[in-house]
Amino acid sequence: MPPDSANPPGAAPPLVHARDLTVRFVTRDATVHAVNGVDFDLAQGEVLCILGESGSGKSVTLRALMRLNPPGVTRVSGTLRVGGHDMVAASARAVADLRGGLVSMIFQEPMTALDPIFTIGRQIRETILRHEKVSGAEADRRALELLELVQIPSAKRRLAAYPHELSGGLRQRAMIAIALSCRPKLLLADEPTTALDATVQIQILLLLRQLQRELGMGVVFVTHDLGVAGEIADRIAVMYAGRFIEEGPTGALMRAPLHPYAQGLLGATVHGQRRGTPLTTIPGSPPNLERLPEGCAFAPRCPYTEPACLAAVPAPRRPVPDRAARCIRVPDTAQPPAGIAA
Amino acid sequence: MGPTGAAPPHPDEIGGPAQPLLGVRGLVKHFPLRGGWLGGARGVVRAVDGVDFTIRKGETLGLVGESGCGKSTTSRLLMRLLEPTAGEVILDGQGVGAGGLGRRDYCRQVQMVFQDSYASLNPRLPVEESIAFAPRVHGTPAREALAKARELLAAVGLEPAQFGWRYPHALSGGQRQRVNIARALALRPRLVILDEPVSALDKSVEAQVLNLLCDLKDRFGLTYLFISHDLNVVQYMADRVMVMYLGRVAEIGPVEAIFGRPAHPYTAALLASRPTMDPDRRRTEAPLSGDPPNPVDPPSGCRFRTRCAHAEPVCAVTEPPLAPLGDGHAAACLMALPGSGHSRAPATTEAAHAA
Repeated sequence: MPPDSANPPGAAPPLVHARDLTVRFVTRDATVHAVNGVDFDLAQGEVLCILGESGSGKSVTLRALMRLNPPGVTRVSGTLRVGGHDMVAASARAVADLRGGLVSMIFQEPMTALDPIFTIGRQIRETILRHEKVSGAEADRRALELLELVQIPSAKRRLAAYPHELSGGLRQRAMIAIALSCRPKLLLADEPTTALDATVQIQILLLLRQLQRELGMGVVFVTHDLGVAGEIADRIAVMYAGRFIEEGPTGALMRAPLHPYAQGLLGATVHGQRRGTPLTTIPGSPPNLERLPEGCAFAPRCPYTEPACLAAVPAPRRPVPDRAARCIRVPDTAQPPAGIAA
Repeated sequence: MGPTGAAPPHPDEIGGPAQPLLGVRGLVKHFPLRGGWLGGARGVVRAVDGVDFTIRKGETLGLVGESGCGKSTTSRLLMRLLEPTAGEVILDGQGVGAGGLGRRDYCRQVQMVFQDSYASLNPRLPVEESIAFAPRVHGTPAREALAKARELLAAVGLEPAQFGWRYPHALSGGQRQRVNIARALALRPRLVILDEPVSALDKSVEAQVLNLLCDLKDRFGLTYLFISHDLNVVQYMADRVMVMYLGRVAEIGPVEAIFGRPAHPYTAALLASRPTMDPDRRRTEAPLSGDPPNPVDPPSGCRFRTRCAHAEPVCAVTEPPLAPLGDGHAAACLMALPGSGHSRAPATTEAAHAA
């Protein structure tokens, strides 16, 4: 949640620049306010984890970054620039051309994201030929290189394999290969390890971390799992009811979260609590996104609610320079970074 | 949470607190693979391949393992949703099946909660009817069964007047899972099989349901078989833990032993695969490479040897039995078995226990 201003002159423009990003789904029956004013910058080569529960708007935010939300019902407003391109106003055709080379995505369930009737090799080749002017032979050579890059054993043989012939871990590696096939600057990952076994999940996380470092990509990684975020993220943004309610460096945020929701989430996650002592829980359930409450969306479940919480959505407050939380109880003592007008 | 709970003894109680509630001996389930020549079988999936364990009265046995290890098949065999290929199940000293405890009596005492809270409820019944269904089948008058169902809804934290008449689609995932738990308790069972009961839930809801399960266990004097892929949750819930790999028990023992001094390299790898909550202590190397092999054609000898860092030629020829390590801790690894021929095997039984 950086201050609402332009970049300081001279600094490299961020890979992603989002200000007051809002996504609504409008149908005849209802309007769902999925994302309600998200501000963030992602630098080249940085890994941001968006952490949240189901219905928090984390996947919708991610999909907005490459405009994958369903056309027709989706209404996006605010500023969203990826690699300098305006993702809100650009034509559908222009966005389609940016996918692959600038931004690409890996999904949770490789079996449904891969096409079951084409071989892995053909699916990589197709992606390369759609986005780059290269020969078929060159595309095939790159496909083999990519399977080796994602550490698929006997890569040459696996090019001719159909998705159902691969194990879950290999399928997820194949999907990563497709996502990387046009050397994107920004990789989006939507719970890519949730469907995998524990011993495979850690392999995929390590692979993603290694590829991210080697290729210098920016990564936005969506997860509900604190442990996964701890393994991969530079920064974490905790999302609730369509807003980033807290953002900060991974270690600091996990050691001492500022926002009561983030504190509750951390306390409710089972990690080494003593047996026999009840787990911390957050009472109630998340708000209905068709009718968001006035003020802080977490107030109905928060143990510290006071009248001021209900007056207006709390603005981000910064107790230290690189952390922020949308809670009126958090002291706002840090100065905004130098060179940025408040 | 010892073997004697606060609740009064169950009316079906027979053998006393020392007798295991459930014993499983040589349990095997093979699924034939169709599609061979002339429609014949072209092999079998060895989903569960010779499993022995007991569940003590009043304890929670955690069951962990990756996909294809046979944990769900085991739970379905125990629930008698599948007929075993071989092996026997003993409930409080009584054999189950032909000549022993009938299905009706057995299922009254053993109930199950499934992972998918929506698929496991009848979408066309209000939830209180779903909960009252089994008692009615077992002869409780309808009015009484419904009154009991409302009591159970209250016990799982759902206001009966507000939620009882609702259909499953009108409840959240956490609320539906509470209904499933209430339904499992409706027959006053002794053993409840919990097959990934919180895996589909959000973290804040997961904690609520885990707390509820702990409360209910004390209140109703239950015994749990808790199946999960989440080791942190198992560590929190279980008294003893059983680790399965490709249809066999890899290691079993008290939760402190399994998490504190794992003896099977697979258990150690599973524990080391858990993501850390501390970014300063990230994993730099994956403990295992590759996926679990296909249970159609498991490796000879020790099934874990193809992924094991300590595998030696002897592992390919000898199938390791569960070697006792003391205090009910046992591991199916030649490195834990004295005189097995593995270079890291202890020389004597005493050395194994000291390890």
